[in-house]
Amino acid sequence: GQEFRFGPCQVKGVMLRELQEAFWAVKDTVQAQDNITSVRLLQQEVLQNVSDAESCYLIYAMLKFYLNTVFKNYHNRTVEFRIMKSSSSLANNFIVIMSQLQPSQEDEMLSISESAHRRFLLFRGAFRQLDIEAALIKAFGELDILLAWMEKFYQ
Amino acid sequence: AHIAEDNSDLLQHVKFQSSNFENILTWDSRLEDTSGMVYSIEYKMYGEAEWLAKEGCQRITQKSCDLTAETGNYMEFYYARVIAVSAGGRSATKMTDRFNPIRHTTIKPPEVTCIPKVRSIQMIVHPTPTPIHARDGHRLTLEDIYDLSYCLELHVNDTYQMHLGGKQREYEFFSLTPDTEFLGTITMDAHQLSKQSAPYVCRVKTLPDRTWT
Repeated sequence: GQEFRFGPCQVKGVMLRELQEAFWAVKDTVQAQDNITSVRLLQQEVLQNVSDAESCYLIYAMLKFYLNTVFKNYHNRTVEFRIMKSSSSLANNFIVIMSQLQPSQEDEMLSISESAHRRFLLFRGAFRQLDIEAALIKAFGELDILLAWMEKFYQ
Repeated sequence: AHIAEDNSDLLQHVKFQSSNFENILTWDSRLEDTSGMVYSIEYKMYGEAEWLAKEGCQRITQKSCDLTAETGNYMEFYYARVIAVSAGGRSATKMTDRFNPIRHTTIKPPEVTCIPKVRSIQMIVHPTPTPIHARDGHRLTLEDIYDLSYCLELHVNDTYQMHLGGKQREYEFFSLTPDTEFLGTITMDAHQLSKQSAPYVCRVKTLPDRTWT
């Protein structure tokens, strides 16, 4: 069946279409809360021209951040906006993906993992520049950008 | 204390209407009489600080503006906004939702040639051009942008339909009765984005069988 291939990291058992549809169902509700149109967390410098080798490191860092920071702290908003079902579906699928990612820790991969880390720091830096509430809303609202990037690694 | 004027009646339903990547900004007003009302349009890519004025849509009176050229990167995310000013000087500004062409555009019916023969009907689906140009200047078709497949259905009678489908563009329904009318419907499916076009419909009659006359 279909799977993600982030460079050497393979992820099975996750239907990208399910993730996309979970987000599309709530996209307008979530994005309407984000009125800072002049700031984009997932800028082009974060996701453009990511090599296969980098991709495993980057997706691991991104999903870890989304699970530990965004979904965790955005929870009461999901209740308020009645988007629990979508949010849970996304979070659960992210957990499944993360559980199968094993980015290599070998020395020769150091420069590649550092390059991926710099990209992640760009994203997290932009996140930290905003008020936490605004940052959470914006990060959640940008999941379509993250999913569109993940689609490139879906086969 | 300054009480903000509520001018929300001047502007509503500010949104992109997009089909085959032709992206038109539309809006309307709750006022019955909008004479003397003028509208100015601005747009930008999500994440950009500056709003850009759309040339040709400044102080216009109609309630639509073509932003196809300005939203030509179909993978990107855009915003547009309308600034309305009434004859009496009241004004209001309203913004669209975040617009992502590849996801939001609807797909029009395909262009199809239906060719009747004596005992079969051939159907040829033509590439669908879009207003989007590639870097080398050539115009992209929907087939360049989406992973499209085609679904063809031939209504033989009220209870029996024939089905064909796939990614190629030429199909033929065989074993049909000569000199009989059939109804064909053809749709395009962008599977990965859960998008499907409206159907193209053709009504054709197979040719009479003159072999023994």
